[in-house]
Amino acid sequence: MPEFDELEARLAALTEADFACGLEVFRGKLTAADASYLNTCVHCGLCAESCHYFRMDPELENIPAAKLKKIAMVFKREYTTVGRFAPGLVGAKAMDTDMARAWVDAVFGRCSLCGRCSMNCTVGIALPRLFRAARAALGAMGLVPSDLQATVDTALQHGNNMAISKTDWVETVQWIEEELQLETGDPEARLPLDRQGAKILFTVNPREPKFFPLSLQASAKVFWAAKEDWTLTADNGWDLTNYGLFNCNDQEAGALTQNLVDAMVRLGCETLVIGECGHGYASARWEGPEWLQQEYPFKVKSILELMDEYLREGRIKVDPAKNPKPVTLHDPCNLVRHGGICEAQRRVLQASAAHFIEMTPNREHNFCCGGGGGQLAMGRYKGRRLQSGGMKAQQIRDTAAEVVVTPCHNCVDQLMELNKEYKLKVQIKTVAEVVADALVS
Amino acid sequence: MSILEFNGKQLELNEEGFLVNPSIWTEELALVLARQEESLDQLSEDHWAVIRFIRAHFLENQAAPMVRSICKSTGIPLKRIYELFASGPAKGACKLAGLPKPDGCV
Repeated sequence: MPEFDELEARLAALTEADFACGLEVFRGKLTAADASYLNTCVHCGLCAESCHYFRMDPELENIPAAKLKKIAMVFKREYTTVGRFAPGLVGAKAMDTDMARAWVDAVFGRCSLCGRCSMNCTVGIALPRLFRAARAALGAMGLVPSDLQATVDTALQHGNNMAISKTDWVETVQWIEEELQLETGDPEARLPLDRQGAKILFTVNPREPKFFPLSLQASAKVFWAAKEDWTLTADNGWDLTNYGLFNCNDQEAGALTQNLVDAMVRLGCETLVIGECGHGYASARWEGPEWLQQEYPFKVKSILELMDEYLREGRIKVDPAKNPKPVTLHDPCNLVRHGGICEAQRRVLQASAAHFIEMTPNREHNFCCGGGGGQLAMGRYKGRRLQSGGMKAQQIRDTAAEVVVTPCHNCVDQLMELNKEYKLKVQIKTVAEVVADALVS
Repeated sequence: MSILEFNGKQLELNEEGFLVNPSIWTEELALVLARQEESLDQLSEDHWAVIRFIRAHFLENQAAPMVRSICKSTGIPLKRIYELFASGPAKGACKLAGLPKPDGCV
């Protein structure tokens, strides 16, 4: 299997200097709280049932505590006195080729960084933070799966993660503007580009212009109905994604965040609005200022908060009868559990669809669809990704809904695959698509 | 990685069903991929128009085209593209046209 061989080749080439470099990055990531977490796990096993990997494949390797143990072993060996002098006594092990392979398998191959395990943890360990520290260390050793790293590299090189040229982006925006004018019958309906001083800069996921522009059209239709003062930007800064959150290279993540900051400053907008994307929201809203080590001179909002405001303030009107099919909602981990946007999408859907059914469990207790943490970009783990998504497939089936709505393009893509794999026969939509269909004047 | 038996040859597909070596693509192979990956027993003229356009664009630019170019060049409306290829333009149409999997949230 060439891809595994390719990883094996990289593992085989590791030198002592690489291990030292990885450990230095690992150490740099650990706060006092993290160090304490690494000594805290009591192996109660309650996290097992919280992990979609374990629920769909009950192997020891899939238990979050077992993944954490591999990280704690190295921590003890490197940074505790007993671990250094009597490693056998405390289960401490050095970082070496086998351990690096085990880390890759645990934190890239069996984890979507969804954080559901932390909800079950009896002692409150923030497991995703530690898994991210391990990913960062592996990155320093050159062990990020190549397709995940390629997505980051493409974004760094081209300003967006699908290498879309400025011409292609602008032509697509103009095309969607024509489509919007046809749809609304209003020749003045616009997708403004580079409007200096607009209140809002709206950002999108590159898969929208590249392959799925109907969601961009839907968002634009909502802005049109609300008479919003908004703009897109033709130059870098229109891509809201940041796979630096997944390869856990803070420098690269910061460079991608800088594109958004530069666009906001260039255009003098008041609020950066993140389109429907879980990791993009968590990156821009919460992680970005940490990566850049500076506060933004502007506000950041999700388009969900905006649509919620429009409805509350009467800026848009919707008729739920226009969406008669039963609808359920998938909560993206990065937007809800990590991001704190929980009720806005519910209020919006309850207003815009005739039958809204909650999945069980939901909100911050929801299960990952299986596509998070960069899993969609890591082809080698596709089998596990689809298997772990069985949890979500069953949740969806249990609602008997005909439409699954999710405010995240990454989740949309995984749900499309689950739809095919598990023969769910549902439609998959973004929130803006549901709202756009329900708009009335 | 999986192996696709085709004309007595063993062709490599990656974990996601994309051709490992895009240069070995033929129209006959597109039909086999359509059956195996998209559960399509036949390909209509519209399917072929999309596949041929994507293939030609790839050979010229080493990248998948924007869906806008697909629509403009073939004259097929956007919504029809999604009906033709249930897995969408990337995991459906581009896969059948023998392209590598695009980066990003796809």
